[in-house]
Amino acid sequence: MGLAPEVIRELRRAVGREHVIASANDLRIFERDASIEGAAPDAVVLPATTAEVSSVIKLAAKHRIPVVPRGAGTGLSGGAVTIRGGIALQVTRMRRILEIDPVAQTALVEPGVVNQELSLAAAAHRLFYAPDPSSQKACTIGGNAAENSGGPHCLYYGVTTNHVLGMEVVLADGSVHWVSGDAPDRVGLDLCGVLVGSEGTLCAITKIKVRLLRTPPSVATLLAAFPTIETASQAVSAVIGRGIVPAALEMMDRVTVGAVEAHYQAGYPTDAGAVLLVEVDGIPESTRELMAAIRTVLAENQGYAMREAQSPSERDLLWAGRKGAIGALGRIKPNYYLHDGVVPRSRLPQILSAVGEIGVHYKLPVANVFHAGDGNLHPNILFDLRDAGVLPQVESAGEEMLRAVVELGGALSGEHGIGLEKSAFMPWVFSADDLDAMRRVKGALDGAGIMNPGKIFPDPDRKVPHLAGRTGVAIEAKWW
Amino acid sequence: MSRTTVEKPATAEELARRLHDAAEAGESVFPAGGGRAAQMGDPPTRKGVEIRTTALDRVLEHSQADMVVSVEAGITLEALQAELGKSGQFLPLDPHNSPGHTIGGLLATGWTGPLRLRYGSARDFLIGIRVALPDGRLASAGGRVVKNVSGYDLMKLHYGALGTLGVIVAASFKVFPKALHDVTVQSTHDSVDQAWAAAEQALTMPMAPAALELFSTGRVLARFLGSPEATKRTVADLGWTEADGSVWAEHSKAAPPLWARIAAPRHQLRTILHELGADQQWWASPGTGIANWAIAGGADEVRSIRALVAAAGGSLVLMAGPDEFRHDAGAWGTPPATLHLMRRLRYAFDPNQVINPGRFVV
Repeated sequence: MGLAPEVIRELRRAVGREHVIASANDLRIFERDASIEGAAPDAVVLPATTAEVSSVIKLAAKHRIPVVPRGAGTGLSGGAVTIRGGIALQVTRMRRILEIDPVAQTALVEPGVVNQELSLAAAAHRLFYAPDPSSQKACTIGGNAAENSGGPHCLYYGVTTNHVLGMEVVLADGSVHWVSGDAPDRVGLDLCGVLVGSEGTLCAITKIKVRLLRTPPSVATLLAAFPTIETASQAVSAVIGRGIVPAALEMMDRVTVGAVEAHYQAGYPTDAGAVLLVEVDGIPESTRELMAAIRTVLAENQGYAMREAQSPSERDLLWAGRKGAIGALGRIKPNYYLHDGVVPRSRLPQILSAVGEIGVHYKLPVANVFHAGDGNLHPNILFDLRDAGVLPQVESAGEEMLRAVVELGGALSGEHGIGLEKSAFMPWVFSADDLDAMRRVKGALDGAGIMNPGKIFPDPDRKVPHLAGRTGVAIEAKWW
Repeated sequence: MSRTTVEKPATAEELARRLHDAAEAGESVFPAGGGRAAQMGDPPTRKGVEIRTTALDRVLEHSQADMVVSVEAGITLEALQAELGKSGQFLPLDPHNSPGHTIGGLLATGWTGPLRLRYGSARDFLIGIRVALPDGRLASAGGRVVKNVSGYDLMKLHYGALGTLGVIVAASFKVFPKALHDVTVQSTHDSVDQAWAAAEQALTMPMAPAALELFSTGRVLARFLGSPEATKRTVADLGWTEADGSVWAEHSKAAPPLWARIAAPRHQLRTILHELGADQQWWASPGTGIANWAIAGGADEVRSIRALVAAAGGSLVLMAGPDEFRHDAGAWGTPPATLHLMRRLRYAFDPNQVINPGRFVV
């Protein structure tokens, strides 16, 4: 289809000739994020300022062209995929850390700032930014805010929305607004709260004010092996049931541990059915006491081969294995489909056994590496795209896993977003009235449907997932 | 008061139907829980029916292992804490003007207390919500898991909206384990300046307090939660006097008849409170930037302090006071610059302003 030449010219006038990409070959680079489905944009626009973002969106509104904000493209639910074409609004030129205020313990950043860059900059003031997605070396704060991203340390510290104090946003008509800010309890409706996690469907984010936390004086990190996923899951519940909420509590299954160990030699026990990575932080007395208590609970639940990091480099190595796990899985198969779902923590053994059975049924290897403390599982279906007919099988297996999550009282996504990938499944959880309430928000802020169309809400024009309609609907609505 | 009749629907469905009928008949509806925040906001501009949620008082599910609880909106905070306490858990809410708040009321008003320093507000641990809309529908958002990004976060929109987007009928929360160790300490000072210095010292301890309240009398109360040795070490290093934990329950009863909440960037709070003058009574949470002022003075004083707070980027909101006073001083102050966006949202949910007409800023 493409955009009319005069629209391209207008975009070039708005942001500079070299910051608009419109050749078919170059556009193909932007057709994907880290999810499975792709569609090329009609133009990629790289603004440098809020004013330029506003101009681009005003143009898009005038010509009724979709706008899809995009950070590093590491999203896992297709949020940045231009499924209806239009403009990919690439914010990576807006990558300045505008301010770190060590007294107020806040940072003001542009949306293209990489998550880890912010943490490194804050470290100079003995502060840190808590949400730490595994993609933190690449993903942007703007993308994190749009998706309400999580990460291992969100168990104790909370997800992105708990750390965003305010944002400058550009709405679908190109208007620029500050929502929320430094002071708590602001007067009026919490616009910031609903815009965080709105997946680019309500606004483009141009500045983010975040809370920074004091770096804890001491950290203890423990790796423990378990004979089975079930025993490891029970240990997770037992730790938290004892009144201890660790900073992070992560699980990896045997498949993952094997790949990670081959890649990183981090000393992960490859004979284990599952391993837990547990971290506590605080003052030294606190980490010592909590870790001693945790070791006792883990041992009571068949934990063995427990190993506590003795140095910062050892700790980094243990975490490198966890955060690099997805990459390491490339040793088993070249492609993966990473799913995201949350179950009530006590249902972890059931969901993991269901996930295992689905993998066996479809003859696809599945590796689990996830935030066990939150009940947030991440089954990775491993495959080789070169195998004929494999993709529909992979998708079907993923759907069945999600369905199992929902049937156990869980949620479709804990931190990756609904995006394109899961929009068809929303009626599994939400009733027509629930979705209508969400649509009212969309209608109030983007009546013309310019911002990231085709996401979050079920799209009647798209292919029907094979499980849709086969099973009951609106579990959440029926529950109350 | 402008209310004429009071109704107590027995179910969420009945409440939604009643709301719909009122909307059809052009009646106004004033949702209420325990009535603890009845004077929050501007005096309503119309008469109408008060719909109390107090008959919706069930715990729908408390999954101890998952540390998640779902309740109907009319349950009191105390009843919920009693249920959670049976398994060593709690909801970290300790609002002023207790006891008697309902969960729905706390969500609609966004009232908090000292524990906000450590745990944040209910905004941070509200994971699911069910709301009756003026068109009679019941709509849910979120879920019953502790981490969830499925669809828009409507919990945030309803939190603190004073019911203007719909009446909250049920909610789910992430709950917390009671601390392994819980110690309260206090220090008293001759001058407020000394008290501020003491508060600052406690707030910058390597193990931060879970709550810290500073009073205009020069008293500072701090609460440390954590593992036993860590807590003991911190309290010893700080060197204040140990106090009985019951001081917090006593403190949560505070509810001046003429009362304002000042919320500012936290490092600006001290300067603002200094401007109140030595004759005024207040208490503050310096770690969060929130203070509560027992106003001794007129609407002019409120307006001048409000101007200072607004210049610092904060807000001054009336929490309680006679209708005439709230009318004179204004409950909310200058509306936010995004008011027109908020109005669009309000219109999308309650186009005829059936709920709380004139009471909220939007």
